Amino acid sequence: MGSLRTFIKDVRSAKTLADERLIITKESAKIRTKLKDDHLPLDKRRKNIHKLLYLYILGEKTHFAQVECINLIASDDFRDKRLGYLAAMLLLDENQEILTLLTNMMNNDLNHPNRYVVSLALNTLGSLMSPELARDLYPDVENILNHSMDTYLLKKALQCAAKLVSRDVALLEIFYPYVEKIIKSHQLYSHGVLLGVTKLCQSALLSKATYEYDDYPTILSSLTNIIPDLFSLLQDLSSTNFNPEFDVNGTCDPFLQVEILYTLRLMFEAAPQETERYLDKLNDMLTQIATNVDGSKNSAHAVLYECVRTIFSLQLDQSLKVLGVNILAKFLSGKDNNNKYVALNTLLRVVPLEPQAVKRHRKFISRCLFDVDVSIKMRSLELTFAILDDSNMKELIEELIEFLEVSSEDDKDLITYIVEHTIDLFEIREINDDEWKLNIIVRIMKLVGQYISVEKIGDVLIMINNAQNMQFKTETIKKILEITVGKSKESVSEFNIGWKLMSLWSIGEYAELVLGQSNITDVDLTDYLCKTNNIYADDIKLISYALTAALKLSSKIQTASCIEDLRQLINSHLTDTNLMLQAKSSQYSILFNQPAQRKHAILEAMPLFTKRTKSNSPGPEKIARPTKPVETNLLLDLLDDIPTASENSNAVPDLLNDTLAQERNTSQHSNDVALNVNTRPENAYKNIVEIPQEASMLYESPNLQAFSEVSSSVAGEAKLEVFIKGVQSISNLHILAAVAKTQRLTLGPLSSTSVGRGEVAKQHMQITGSGKLKLRIKVSFTANGQADAEQFDHKFDITI
Amino acid sequence: MAIQFFICLNKQGILRLVRWFQPFSGAAPNNQATIAQIYKLISTRDHKHQSNFVEFSDSTKLVYKRYAGLYFLMGVDLHDEELIYLSHIHLFVEVLDAFFGNVCELDIIFNFYKAYMILDELIIGGEIQETSKDVLLERVNYLDRLD
Repeated sequence: MGSLRTFIKDVRSAKTLADERLIITKESAKIRTKLKDDHLPLDKRRKNIHKLLYLYILGEKTHFAQVECINLIASDDFRDKRLGYLAAMLLLDENQEILTLLTNMMNNDLNHPNRYVVSLALNTLGSLMSPELARDLYPDVENILNHSMDTYLLKKALQCAAKLVSRDVALLEIFYPYVEKIIKSHQLYSHGVLLGVTKLCQSALLSKATYEYDDYPTILSSLTNIIPDLFSLLQDLSSTNFNPEFDVNGTCDPFLQVEILYTLRLMFEAAPQETERYLDKLNDMLTQIATNVDGSKNSAHAVLYECVRTIFSLQLDQSLKVLGVNILAKFLSGKDNNNKYVALNTLLRVVPLEPQAVKRHRKFISRCLFDVDVSIKMRSLELTFAILDDSNMKELIEELIEFLEVSSEDDKDLITYIVEHTIDLFEIREINDDEWKLNIIVRIMKLVGQYISVEKIGDVLIMINNAQNMQFKTETIKKILEITVGKSKESVSEFNIGWKLMSLWSIGEYAELVLGQSNITDVDLTDYLCKTNNIYADDIKLISYALTAALKLSSKIQTASCIEDLRQLINSHLTDTNLMLQAKSSQYSILFNQPAQRKHAILEAMPLFTKRTKSNSPGPEKIARPTKPVETNLLLDLLDDIPTASENSNAVPDLLNDTLAQERNTSQHSNDVALNVNTRPENAYKNIVEIPQEASMLYESPNLQAFSEVSSSVAGEAKLEVFIKGVQSISNLHILAAVAKTQRLTLGPLSSTSVGRGEVAKQHMQITGSGKLKLRIKVSFTANGQADAEQFDHKFDITI
Repeated sequence: MAIQFFICLNKQGILRLVRWFQPFSGAAPNNQATIAQIYKLISTRDHKHQSNFVEFSDSTKLVYKRYAGLYFLMGVDLHDEELIYLSHIHLFVEVLDAFFGNVCELDIIFNFYKAYMILDELIIGGEIQETSKDVLLERVNYLDRLD
């Protein structure tokens, strides 16, 4: 049997996978037999275990040797022990019962006169800390902390103590005094020991919530005693220009600096009262580090980044927060993708707290949209929407469109995100600038229509339909149709199905707006419908839109040959194998032959839609639709059938339903679309937000009431709406919110920044992560001419 | 803050070092499937133009860096400070380099137990325990002579 080296060489030189497998299986079997031999000399035993560990790295089964590594640990030879412990750390995990066999040996080794043996045992305890081992071995660790003057062992023992406390919180009582004791005994200073101290301290602070005894305040005050020491350490480290032993690219021990900062952060979080007197000093300290740390290297950035995290976790002074945001902006403006990544991540968390400061850096944020790294792109996108407000909306949307222009299929997720959020934004913000809004939507459709879901295209169609300014609406339609029939310089990709759907719908609905007023003729439109019908025969969605468009168009044109073409188009699906299309075709062909006047009334333009959303149960006010008896019963029956026959399609039944409702309503009304629009009650399209009945009240004050409704919650994600109702009239409304650390919050836009008495503003929130759902909300506003802010917390009965 | 696991893979995805500091989501230790997933994730990333961080699961983020033909990576908690872990990796690689003298993949293959020894002097139970390259080198050189 050869050496480890030969074995590794053999495995490497195998020509095929089968060869390799053969060598491995053979060797594995040999090792198994050898290890069973009780009389195997120790050096042979070691060789076999070495080979076994190599097998482990190759991903082979090694369970048969678990006991063997314990035998090696029992040996007196250091080389055996070393290999035994290594094997134990690799092959065992803390859930295995076999660990109990280790207890005695580790107990001996932790008290061994040889420091390297003690070190091995400490390393292993750090990795394999089952509750039993923790319980049985903590006195040995304490013993080292108490008596050893060896910094090599102390640093390891401190780390083990930190682990012990996190494993069994009752041990906190035993170990906490060592934090203060060791840091005050200056002769034991080494960076390793200091790292250990900060770890133990962190562990003690993190166990605040689970510690059951009532002496925690004593513990806390002992821990906070070391704050001045931590400050002076940090001061030394950050002002050291060059220390060859700990220098990492010009920063003195960034590892220790980061650990100290993190410890301080936990300290100030856990003991706000005890640490209050140090707050100014902390502010100074952080400002000093943030301005002193200079360097373009990762090590310097790591320290800066930890400062920024501290500033925002502790919600320090305004000036520091601005400093923090500026540091992050500097990260963003650089070339290093790692910095961009952490900066965007942090800014996303910071935006709700410091919206103004973040907004100042929007240039850098939108520049990241064009990065190569998709996770950076996605984050900068989220951030773009998070900082979007009335003042920068047009500029930011323009940037997003620039991004869409260069986007490709790989960016599908990003595109969907942009489209959905832009449409939501238009709806929630009640943007009245139709010209701009329609222009943007058409540009988006043109660029990326093929990636947009049918549902969202429905929203786009609603938006076009509901546009109030007839002039812009007409121009938009004209532009769309000119491109579609090829009478424009611009063109749209053949694969842009979304654009086609929009065109078909526009032809059916608005043909009369463009016919005779542009260079588009009824022949163009008819040809387009026929062409679509021929080319996309297997796309049910397109065909069903084309059928409706054909029917509607037929009542708007006079040219007999076109009308005949449309009739044939509809009839061509009378025997379609798709039931929905067939039903539609049959029904439409009946409608087609109705007398002109009746047909006209049935095929009236669509009314203004109100979008049905799941979360708004009472929803925005529906347009009142007086039902009037319709002349022909036959027709009524027929119409009632249609929706059921076409249940399979998503968007079409909606449209049809609306046509039908409209038919009942407007048969005696004017047929003129413009007039039709004008007769609608003014407030019908104003998005009035109402609080759903199932919403619960979170908070109440003389100024406002807050409600919330969780619209969905699944593991890892919850969506909710927060409603702010004005008890009196308030303006400049602004909502800031924070969630638990394990979660991340994405704020949607606020529906309105001012609410009158009894009016409601809506804020959508999305929380991802895990844990119990808790919210801290801060509402700032102006009431009676005075700026004011109110803050409240709410715990939901939901865990995600 | 803690390192959940440490892995060294070569460019072809062959494992060279692996160490789990926490029982990894109940899976068997040295879970090949998980490692294959990790490799798939990082090998498709552009190491010049993409960040060295990537989210791997609901509880784990990978911090990785490629040195020549080897990936060194750590799984850390989602909210941990990514940048400093990158320095951890770099320190480890520096010590390896100094110890073996211009380290290459073969050094790690044939002396994997020595690489583990270095790792154990740098990290204990998923936490960094020594930050000085000189102290580390002196220690591992001494330990190496004990054979």
